[in-house]
Amino acid sequence: MCDCECACAEPLKLGQRVPDFELDTYEPTKGDFGKFSLAAQIEKKRWTIVFFYPADFTFV
Amino acid sequence: MGCDVVTVSTDTKFTHLAWREHEKELAKVNYPMGSDPTGKVGRMFSVYDEGSGLTLRGTFIINPEGVLLGSEVNFYNLGRNIDEMMRKFKANIYLARKTNEACPSKWKDDGDKTLVNPGAKMVGKVHEALNG
Repeated sequence: MCDCECACAEPLKLGQRVPDFELDTYEPTKGDFGKFSLAAQIEKKRWTIVFFYPADFTFV
Repeated sequence: MGCDVVTVSTDTKFTHLAWREHEKELAKVNYPMGSDPTGKVGRMFSVYDEGSGLTLRGTFIINPEGVLLGSEVNFYNLGRNIDEMMRKFKANIYLARKTNEACPSKWKDDGDKTLVNPGAKMVGKVHEALNG
C-alpha cells in the first residue's frame, strides 16, 4: 500500500487480472509515437510481455 | 505467435526515439518502447524504485484475457536470459491449450515430456511420470 497515485491498491499477484494501463510509446517500425494499452491487447486477444528496464542508453 | 512485447522505462518517448535511432545495437529491435515517466505502471508491477526513479528489470507475461501468468524481476546489475523468458512464454501458451498438463523445468517445446493430470496419483511418482 502506498499514498502515491497507483492504479492498484495492492501488489499484483499471479493469476489475477491486471488493471488496465496505458503507455505513450515510440514505435520503431513506424518511426513515430503511439500508444500501448492492455485494454487494446485484450480486445485483439493478444498475449503481452511487459519488459521493464532501468534506463535508455544502458544494457537490457 | 499472437504476442506483443512492450518495453518500458521511465524515459520519455523522445528519449526512446533518440536511443533507438542512435544505438546500433538496437537496429533490429522493433518492439514499441513504452514511456512511464511518473512510474505509475512500474509501481503497479512493483518494479518502480522510489529512491532512484528507475524501474528494475522485470518481465511480466499477461494472457489474452488480461491475467498475469508470469513474473520475474532482476536487480539492476543482472541481465535477463531471453531463452528462459521465451521458454516460459511458450510454456504458458502451450498450457493455455492443454489445461490438464503441467510443464516441468526442462520443458522447452511442444512435443517435450509434460506431466498429464498431475494429482494424487503422481505424488511420489514424478520420476516415473517424466521417465516412463
